[in-house]
Amino acid sequence: MDLSFIGTMFLRILGGLPLTLNLWGLSLLGGAILALGLNLLRTTRVGDKVASAYVFVFRGTPLLIQIFMIYFGLAGFGFIRHSVLWPFLREPYWCGLLALVLNDAAYTSEILRGGLRAVPRGAVEAGRVSGMSRFTILRRITLPLAIRQALPAYSSEVISMLKATALVSTITLMDMTGIARAAISETWRAVEILLSAAAIYLALSLIVTQLSVWIERRLSPWQFQRTNR
Amino acid sequence: MTDTSKTVLSIAGLRKSFGANEVLRGIDLAASDGDVISMIGASGSGKSTLLRCIPMLEIPDAGTVGVGEDRVSPRGGRLTRAEEATVRRMRCQLGFVFQNFNLWPHRTVLENVIEAPLFVQGRARSEAVDEAMALLDKVGLAAKRDAYPAHLSGGQQQRVAIARALAQHPRAILFDEPTSALDPELVGEVLKVIRSLAEEGRTMLIVTHEMGFAREVSSRVVFLHQGHIEEDGTPAEVFGAPKSERARAFLASHFDRNRQG
Repeated sequence: MDLSFIGTMFLRILGGLPLTLNLWGLSLLGGAILALGLNLLRTTRVGDKVASAYVFVFRGTPLLIQIFMIYFGLAGFGFIRHSVLWPFLREPYWCGLLALVLNDAAYTSEILRGGLRAVPRGAVEAGRVSGMSRFTILRRITLPLAIRQALPAYSSEVISMLKATALVSTITLMDMTGIARAAISETWRAVEILLSAAAIYLALSLIVTQLSVWIERRLSPWQFQRTNR
Repeated sequence: MTDTSKTVLSIAGLRKSFGANEVLRGIDLAASDGDVISMIGASGSGKSTLLRCIPMLEIPDAGTVGVGEDRVSPRGGRLTRAEEATVRRMRCQLGFVFQNFNLWPHRTVLENVIEAPLFVQGRARSEAVDEAMALLDKVGLAAKRDAYPAHLSGGQQQRVAIARALAQHPRAILFDEPTSALDPELVGEVLKVIRSLAEEGRTMLIVTHEMGFAREVSSRVVFLHQGHIEEDGTPAEVFGAPKSERARAFLASHFDRNRQG
């Protein structure tokens, strides 16, 4: 192996890191907000059906197809081409981000739903008898407990989303994978290039794993400390 | 009988069914300032449901519940928006102590006690902390202020729950079998705290199976049977000379069991 070639490629691929981080961060942010909305929707009977159908569709189809449907498919509808959203929806960046957000929301809403179901009923009742409003109960009791419960599963989702961003390279975006693909087609030295890209993804995953352990310890110290009664 | 001008808590015509099971069949009860009322009865007699109907943890099918100046008469098992606001005002005037403590597991002892003062009553943090520490001192747990509930014994958790209830400045405190989930050796420390509250003249409603305790601290004892109040009198009246056959049978079996146990 040619170390200086790997070094050059590594630096070149790092040029795609800002776009990868951008798509990763924003899709997680958008997905989390939408996931919270989906769970609030579940408090009504019709809303529950809508949320279930949404999750079914976006979890049951490949992300790659979702990306293609939004990027290639939406342009087929005249009303979308004439809508105010067209300047966004004709850009591969916005199509890719939209697909990632919608996909992440489906998974995250299920993770959050599991967390919400695990909140002890008594903790909520204690909030109600203390005179808390529904919103205060959600903010001070239900969500904090649900998030603590959901954290381990959510950290997997965060890593999944990091890897999912690689798919936007199929719609011309030059994220880390996009740059790697371009470099391969120029040099035909796939192994060195792919290893360089994989190493960067691996390093980012490691950061997420460590961060999630740290957050877990900070948020739920009683699960990690031992004290005498 | 009771001085209505000082009525803290009033219940009238309360009914509640779960499916086909009618748990409360028309309950009338009023508590005046300083009353300590014990509610006794076999399991399934409706005493816990009655207690949970007061802050509307269970919404009654019929009847009226009043706390202080506020009262609601919900219909159809739901609260309207206006009723919900009234209920929240009523809850702010009550303290509720659960059988299973129900402390918030993600908050320390101190944080549990200052939660409602800060986030419901909007009091200043330093003031809330000072008062919480005084309350924790009173229940003997000031040293545990930074511990999490998971690291406390059941008796300690229940004492924190009592401090949390007191921090709301309640006009009345409701206890739902406060010692039933405790190991026998931990019952005493919780009863001691409740007894000290009775001595301070606090208004309390206590659902309990501890007959000796009920006899000792109560100003009034209510015996429930199948959703009715069958006996309502002083401890001497109810324990000494119960009028109904069912109360006699219940008390006989209970004191028998205590003697054997």
